[in-house]
Amino acid sequence: MKLAIIIPAYNEAEKISSVVLAVKAAQPESLIVIIDDGSSDATAELAASAGADVLRHKINRGQGAALKTGIEYALRRHVDAAVFFDADGQMESQEIKLLAAKLAEGYDAVLGSRNLGRALNMPLMKRITKKLALYFTCWTTGLKLTDTHNGFQAWAGTALKLLDLGQDRQAYASEVLHEIKRLKLKYCEVPVTIHYTDYSIKKGQSIWNAFGILWDLLIK
Amino acid sequence: MLIQIILLIIIAVIVLRLAAKYRAKELPGKQFIGWLLLWFLAGLAVIWPQLTVDIANRVGVGRGSDLVVYLALVFLFYILSRLFWRIERLEKDLTKVVRAEALKEKDDSSS
Repeated sequence: MKLAIIIPAYNEAEKISSVVLAVKAAQPESLIVIIDDGSSDATAELAASAGADVLRHKINRGQGAALKTGIEYALRRHVDAAVFFDADGQMESQEIKLLAAKLAEGYDAVLGSRNLGRALNMPLMKRITKKLALYFTCWTTGLKLTDTHNGFQAWAGTALKLLDLGQDRQAYASEVLHEIKRLKLKYCEVPVTIHYTDYSIKKGQSIWNAFGILWDLLIK
Repeated sequence: MLIQIILLIIIAVIVLRLAAKYRAKELPGKQFIGWLLLWFLAGLAVIWPQLTVDIANRVGVGRGSDLVVYLALVFLFYILSRLFWRIERLEKDLTKVVRAEALKEKDDSSS
């Protein structure tokens, strides 16, 4: 199975090299695609010299937009499947194969869940916000999930071709779930480990983003 | 009254700027006429405030200035929502352009 690891990155110069190298070590056969989403630092150069395929957004367009660029590129390279991965080092590259294994079992979409797995040092406020977001997502999509807005996912190429993603920013994470529902895809969750470090918390979404996501979902 | 003079000056400045834009072909003729009409009516209301009172009373609003405020609010919300959707569309288009550019650059560099 030819696999693409799609990693949107925005100003991740501090971590990007180690993330690319770790993914490369875990998945030596995979195509590693970094989408530099208009970074002002050396993210693109560092990712390229670590051995990734780098695409550059000239202007920052958001994580959803970057992911979609990566998906289009991966499909052009005729991959069989793609894994969405984060550039800030909070995911375990060793766990990519767990998600890929589920695809081999015939699932269209495999979603990482930190509630089945381990979320290390997740701040309390984040825990509460995630819980509320989870109820909201389960209610609006009708999917049975234990986690939402977890960026660690694996998708079969056939399903990726059908995905219709219009959300440029974080709300894409809800959008993919709605797409699973709409396309009646076969999905499952897999436990994953998410490391909450000072760096990833600083780089990640703040609680207030939840309101921005709701706005994007309801108004647009 | 002083307020009438101030408002008329403001309206005059706005109309002059509109005319300049029209002449510089930044503003299409249709839109220019539309704006001109709007500011002409505003000017009328400033010079003869009684006009707005008469119209207000006829539609069941107490004061002329209230009617003007209501209409202005409706108009503002209309403009705001149009701007909102237009920006939304621009953002989506911008993303498409940025994406196409990124993919093309990649194709060029690998071929």
